[in-house]
Amino acid sequence: MIEQYSGIAPKGDLLLLKKLGEKLARKKFLHINSTRSGGGVAEILQRMIPILQGIGIEARWEVIEGDEKFFDTTKKMHNALQGQAEVITDEMWEHHYEVNRNNAEKLDLSADAVLIHDPQPAPLIDFKKDGKWFWRCHIDLSNPAQGVFESLRKYCEKYDAAIFSVARFARGIPISQFIITPSIDPLSDKNRDLSTEEVRQIMDKLKIPSDRPILLQVSRFDRFKDPTGVVKAYRLVKKYNECVLVLAGSPALDDPEGATVLAEVTSFASDDPDIHILLLPPFSDVEINALQRAATIIFQKSLKEGFGLTVSESLWKGKPVIGGAAGGIPLQITHGVSGFLVHSLEGAAFRARQLLNNPEMARSMGEQGKEYVRTNFLITRQTRDYLALWYSIENPGKDFHEL
Amino acid sequence: MAENVEKRKGGFEFKECAIIRKSTGKKAVTLRELRSLLVDISEKSIYYHIYQYFLKQELSEYTNEFARWAGEFLEERALAEQLSNVDPYSFKDLASLRNELLAVLDYYHEQFPESREVARGHEFYFEESVTFTFLVGVKVRNLAEFLFGIKYVDISSIYYHFYEARVRHGMDDFSRWIEDSLEEKALAEKVRAIDPFMNSLDRIRDHIVTAVEQTVRSNMEVL
Repeated sequence: MIEQYSGIAPKGDLLLLKKLGEKLARKKFLHINSTRSGGGVAEILQRMIPILQGIGIEARWEVIEGDEKFFDTTKKMHNALQGQAEVITDEMWEHHYEVNRNNAEKLDLSADAVLIHDPQPAPLIDFKKDGKWFWRCHIDLSNPAQGVFESLRKYCEKYDAAIFSVARFARGIPISQFIITPSIDPLSDKNRDLSTEEVRQIMDKLKIPSDRPILLQVSRFDRFKDPTGVVKAYRLVKKYNECVLVLAGSPALDDPEGATVLAEVTSFASDDPDIHILLLPPFSDVEINALQRAATIIFQKSLKEGFGLTVSESLWKGKPVIGGAAGGIPLQITHGVSGFLVHSLEGAAFRARQLLNNPEMARSMGEQGKEYVRTNFLITRQTRDYLALWYSIENPGKDFHEL
Repeated sequence: MAENVEKRKGGFEFKECAIIRKSTGKKAVTLRELRSLLVDISEKSIYYHIYQYFLKQELSEYTNEFARWAGEFLEERALAEQLSNVDPYSFKDLASLRNELLAVLDYYHEQFPESREVARGHEFYFEESVTFTFLVGVKVRNLAEFLFGIKYVDISSIYYHFYEARVRHGMDDFSRWIEDSLEEKALAEKVRAIDPFMNSLDRIRDHIVTAVEQTVRSNMEVL
């Protein structure tokens, strides 16, 4: 499995993965989250488990089950942790705990290391049998609504370590807190190489013209992704530069506002034939891949963002990205090197015009962005980091390890 | 000393290093807060923000994380320049380096006592790291092989031998081996003359490759 990444991921990452694999060989590494499909966590686990198994670790992935009330509560929890006001009653917290207790009875929790993803299964720590337990939080915890993290804290503090995506998401808890950024899989349908012919066929299928530069934003139809702002920026660009705009997203079943925002954007775009708004079915990974490869410039003009891995996905296609300076986007775009960080729609338009008028700059930025993703945001690096963390917890008191 | 030199006679084995980052849970919003936290922050954190800054492959006009924060987020450009001018390899230990950083901050504060806040999301987060080093599996015995090796290894190997080595024994590993083992003093001096603060890891590799190629070529011409 790991050999498939040879020639793609940095050699050192693969080497360290193998060395850590040797050190942790035949140990059991259990991952637990709350969904088998859909969302970034499941997407990465589907690929990471075989990588771990391939280097000799007995990796398993379990998924907790819950009823509607449980997932309604955890959705509210998720929103509140990201700063939205939500009411989560004591009874809801108790139900959250009870569902975890039921899962603990059904799941085999014995392992040398257990990685619990996100708040849904966090109370499982109370049913720990053995091994080291890590809590991996994928959510932006920089500004949680009052009270919600305090209720979760009692679980977090029992873990051996916590993992956050960005330093500012970390909280003041008295356990080791590691910063491990998320990653993309260069071999998945969303990121693997596509032939020119494959890209052309998909563009034809989606009815996207290829005779002019394409500006693209791939995102849910969500106000925080500012799709209307992107249309306004496109209009400023269009005054002097011929181009088409593609806004592509999938319906999010858990986001009732999505349809409203889509309607707003469609109405705002009015009847401009050069604006293509695509509501793609879920799992349109190859289509998104092709759109990113066909694009000239890619926007991720978010006003608020978690980590925003679509930026790394875009950079991986060798395209310059114009991103809003929100969430994890500034960690992925080096301003002026692999794209531009902007603070307004006018800024987005200005940078897009700069790039359209300087294809050499666009090409060079795309190249540098791809290399930056290769060294920082591939799944091999994230897997390596998880194992390095586990190894360092197994060998405490040392800041330098010679393998 | 003679024994150490003797040990270096022989092949050069490329190593690499990788780090994982840890949060200390401490953050600064103003210069005053940065100064106050810097007094007690762990030496591991200073090491990470100053020495391991070079492992980041981001291009920046500043030479350490404190300078970068002062320049890019606090917009205290003069302070950023002064912090960038601190040469971390000229201190005998981390305590002395910490004192120098505090002295630079204090001097600046005397001149500009107003302390402004950074925008939300741009706070300075004190971090630490856990470092892993390992052999790459490339051992070279002469300059021609070295040329092949240095082109082959990852950029973190350049970091380990060119920067991290200075903390271990006061100079980079490459020039040390070239001088002690290959007795190519002139080449060693060329490698030593590469400014570690003004070059990215890629450019350092390019400079070394150019210098080594010139020497190999000139040695071949002599033959």
